[in-house]
Amino acid sequence: MFPRPGRDVGFPVAGCALLFAVFLAGGLIYESFQGRAAERLVTVMLIDAIIVLGIQIYVGNTGVLSFGHIGFGAIAGYAFAVFAISPEEKLKRIPDAPFGLNDVLLNPALAVAVAIGVTVLVALVVGIGLARSGAESGAVAATVITLALLFVTHEVARNWPDLTGGNRAGLTFKVGAALDSRLPIYLCLLGALIVARLFAQSRSGKLAVAAREDNLAARAMGVNPLVQQTAALLISVAVVSVGSSLRVYENGSILPDDFFFNYTLLTLAMLIVGGRNSVTGALVGVAVMTIGRELARRLGQDGFEVFGLGLDAAPLDWIFRENLQTVFLGLAMLGFMIFRSEGLLGDWELDSWLWRLWHRRKPETQPEPLAEVAPVGLHAEVPHEGAALEAGDIVVDFGGFRALDGAGLSVAPDEVVGLIGPNGAGKTTLVNVITGMVEPAEGWFRLGERELTAAPSHEIARAGLLRTFQNLRLFDALTVRQNVELAGRVAARHRPGRHPQADALIGEAGLWDVRDRRARELDYGSARRLELARAAAMAPTYLLLDEPTSGMSDAESNEMIRRIRHMAAAVDAGVLVIDHDLNFITGISDRIYVLDQGQVISVGTPDEVQADPAVRAAYLGAESDTQT
Amino acid sequence: MLEVEGLTARYGSIAALRGAALSVGSGEVVGLIGPNGAGKTTLLSSIAGLLSPAEGRVTFEGKDITGRSPEQLLRSGVALVPEHRRIFADLTVEENLRIGGVTVPAAKRAELLDEMAERFVVLKEKWDVPAGYLSGGEAQQLAIGRALMSAPRLLMMDEPSLGLAPVLVDLVFELIGTLRDQGRTLLVVEQNAARMLEVSDRAYVLRSGEVVASGTGRELSQRDDLFDTFVGSVVAPDEGLPAAGSPVANGAGGGTA
Amino acid sequence: MTELAQNLIDGLGRGSIYALLALGVAVVFGVMHLLNFAHGELITVGGYVALWTLGAGWSWYIVTPLIVLSAVLTSLAIERVAFSRVRGSSDFTLLLTSFGVHFVISAIFLLYVSASVKPFDRPSWVTNTYSVGPLNIEVYDTVVIVVTVLTLIGTTLLLQRTMFGLSLRAAAADFDTARLMGVRSDTVIRGAFALSGLLAGIAGVFWLMRAGSISPSAGITPMLKGVLAALIGGLGSLRGAVIGGLVLGLAEVLLRSRLPDSIASLTEGVVFLLIALLFIFRPQGLVTVKHAVRV
Repeated sequence: MFPRPGRDVGFPVAGCALLFAVFLAGGLIYESFQGRAAERLVTVMLIDAIIVLGIQIYVGNTGVLSFGHIGFGAIAGYAFAVFAISPEEKLKRIPDAPFGLNDVLLNPALAVAVAIGVTVLVALVVGIGLARSGAESGAVAATVITLALLFVTHEVARNWPDLTGGNRAGLTFKVGAALDSRLPIYLCLLGALIVARLFAQSRSGKLAVAAREDNLAARAMGVNPLVQQTAALLISVAVVSVGSSLRVYENGSILPDDFFFNYTLLTLAMLIVGGRNSVTGALVGVAVMTIGRELARRLGQDGFEVFGLGLDAAPLDWIFRENLQTVFLGLAMLGFMIFRSEGLLGDWELDSWLWRLWHRRKPETQPEPLAEVAPVGLHAEVPHEGAALEAGDIVVDFGGFRALDGAGLSVAPDEVVGLIGPNGAGKTTLVNVITGMVEPAEGWFRLGERELTAAPSHEIARAGLLRTFQNLRLFDALTVRQNVELAGRVAARHRPGRHPQADALIGEAGLWDVRDRRARELDYGSARRLELARAAAMAPTYLLLDEPTSGMSDAESNEMIRRIRHMAAAVDAGVLVIDHDLNFITGISDRIYVLDQGQVISVGTPDEVQADPAVRAAYLGAESDTQT
Repeated sequence: MLEVEGLTARYGSIAALRGAALSVGSGEVVGLIGPNGAGKTTLLSSIAGLLSPAEGRVTFEGKDITGRSPEQLLRSGVALVPEHRRIFADLTVEENLRIGGVTVPAAKRAELLDEMAERFVVLKEKWDVPAGYLSGGEAQQLAIGRALMSAPRLLMMDEPSLGLAPVLVDLVFELIGTLRDQGRTLLVVEQNAARMLEVSDRAYVLRSGEVVASGTGRELSQRDDLFDTFVGSVVAPDEGLPAAGSPVANGAGGGTA
Repeated sequence: MTELAQNLIDGLGRGSIYALLALGVAVVFGVMHLLNFAHGELITVGGYVALWTLGAGWSWYIVTPLIVLSAVLTSLAIERVAFSRVRGSSDFTLLLTSFGVHFVISAIFLLYVSASVKPFDRPSWVTNTYSVGPLNIEVYDTVVIVVTVLTLIGTTLLLQRTMFGLSLRAAAADFDTARLMGVRSDTVIRGAFALSGLLAGIAGVFWLMRAGSISPSAGITPMLKGVLAALIGGLGSLRGAVIGGLVLGLAEVLLRSRLPDSIASLTEGVVFLLIALLFIFRPQGLVTVKHAVRV
């Protein structure tokens, strides 16, 4: 099922080739008008594009802002330089180079490979700290670490002259001043485009995006964001390393300041302006910012006056030109952040657009009409493992407030069990405990023989406990189909047996007509059904549904009941459903647990529970002495 | 005093309120009851300015206060005791109370602070303790005291008995009764319907974002279908509401005393 | 032993400045969830004020309050022009906005002043030392430590005893509830920026006295130290920020004197490595701040 050769490989590669062609053609046309003066501008733009694409792989897919990629670039640049410079040259620049590096000489291609290796190794170490602190203290902490990395590489480069030539001298080398031919740059840019685009379409990329959209929901679906973010970082850093090596090669030298704040600003501004969540956007950003900067430069060059302050004195001219560009960059970044933070293109991709155009002409046929055929498309015949979900003695304290006080329950594989209770009874907390999102002070729970009490959320999900959320947690920027397919990808790796077809589930949820809409555009009922379909796509052993009908009218609720039953039966899952609505629970449940004050106060069939005076007391708050 | 007309509010795409309307007269204690998810909290949040309603109008003392920010609203004389109490755990009891009085002049604040110390004896004992160490009941008293520090003309409470042990629930309703005896105007959202009806002059029943019933506490507490409204049961219970038998004093003081 | 004591004093001097910077960063982070990468620019502005006023022959006694004042005003201006427009935006937007502000300010100095490093006179006593037994103590360090302690006491009093301080702490803990209590968001956010500017201004005076020069990019290092210290201490915790600053200062001084000569110049790298290790084993920083997440 994944990857689909046309959608996930063919179109993206073709789209990248097209993008590359247009981008390059633009550069070459400008060059043909401006002559040799523009040659270097275009070369620089091509190399910038490689680096920006590299950054996009991480920032776009994980949503974590990184200032550190240029720091990684510096590491790669120095590694490349040290290995590519001839020993004679090194003897002049860095006679005391450590580790016997003085005698080493590799051809440029090999030196790039070494640069990638060294940088990726550093990235691996940094990446673990990054992912861990990011998971614990939010993306802000991760960003600060990347900033510190940038700063520290700069400091080390300045203060380790034995290796880097230090602040003044730098490393200079001649392999023909500049590249003899642009062919390697072309190939690398095309390669970077394809890598960036294919990563976004890959399993890893999709899962990283899921975690970007909603970290908690991703974990509840069996995604381990730490792994995906690290994968994105490593690939991203590898691409940046290639670009940085080329940059050093092209410049013929490297100084600490080449890979520092100004270049970080430039590359980030390019990424932000174009649209960080899109490969196409990154490339557009490079083009737009290069044009803008070129304009700013030429305005400065011609003695242009700003606010009456013309700096036509010759010695100041270059400062003025340089700085006008920086002002332009800073303002562009500020402006986009304040007025259009998603950039020019948002997450628009050329090849996805082409794909949709293509399919508008050849409309998809709905695989099966809704309810009748759906069970056939799903795997009704696979025998379940017969694992019961059991939990007991669960205690949760929030500060001084005891949310759960020895609660427990058990659900058999083909049972539908309701969990009701008044507001604040601890229903959601119980589901949070069972899905690993709240750590209980005491208690245990297991699925069949498997003890899950201390397991992280994503492992619990992979074991087969899939939940929905009371306040809806969808991957908002993804389409209906992508939401469901994503779960399918996780299932394909971690859930044994056959899996329900994504399209069949979408049909079953009544979402076929809106399958290409973004989740955030759905109306409330559809969003609820999508969340259900997404959980079902994991082929769960148990579906844990937290208030699936809250906010729905009675008619909508009844429709939802029918779908839940049908879908659970189709994917052969047991169901634990939280609700406050006894009518709804009666319609769907075989047995009901009633929770109050963190304890189970009643268990039984719907009729038994309804007749239980303790339940009435809990709901209406009657005096306890009226109970019998 | 407070008039709410045709209030519609959405959380994203969720229509949590569909044209809800209610009114609170000066000196009245009005209950707002209904099942979980009925839109009670949304209604209070919309009045308090935490949410801007999509449609509808809220007027207080004749002034249109629709869409005002919470800080403006407090200055107009409307205070809210939020759901889950939301006390500042790192601030001491005294500091929590003082922040409640941020809008009143310093002299008045000191006066109110003394009044709270007198009224809430348990809090007086823990005056300098970070509020995070309070028990649920104490925290609820603190939350109410904090709201009273702004000397509001209308006090709204969101689920004041939520998550409290029965004996503390008694305490909260006793407090509501006391406030009512002092002639304060209250609008209280409560899941604990029977107890709420005992202490309210009037009440509204909210379900699926709409007001489905209203009346005096006595009228509502004698309706057998109330349990059904709450739990959505189609099977009518064969006995009357347990609370219906208990004496509900409609005009005079709190029923629980 | 003597060396250790010496290091501790030096480290406290350095750490005090970091603590002031980190506290300023943490105050703003608390109310707005904004990590202000433009925090260092407050010092840059102060630096140019120092350059021009000292150049005009004014004494440090007059210049010092001017530096502090300029930092406060700059902080308020930045809030007004840029940050007030992105209140409540995503972390990503907030971070990049402050990054953009940093660049625009330094570019303005580049454009209208100069890219080069401009020296100015340091107060004569900065390099003086006095001896206590075997220890050589810099007058400068002494002044820094004393003023920092006084500033921290003042800040604590402000936060504990005034209605503004109380509002600030309440807003940092739970912004919406603070608004429900009638705390005005404008007041508290602008107040936080003013306080942040004040702290940066005081730290800036010391920073500039020691540096004796200013350039458009001079704000980067103090900003980074402040932000890192706030992070080490645990983002969102004011006490953590102060602790983080002191720890960072001590670590730098101790490492620089203890590391073998060959890598002593790489102290920054080693410190970063230690910070990375800290975050691998204690990702929430030194002081834990509880964030309630409702599922």
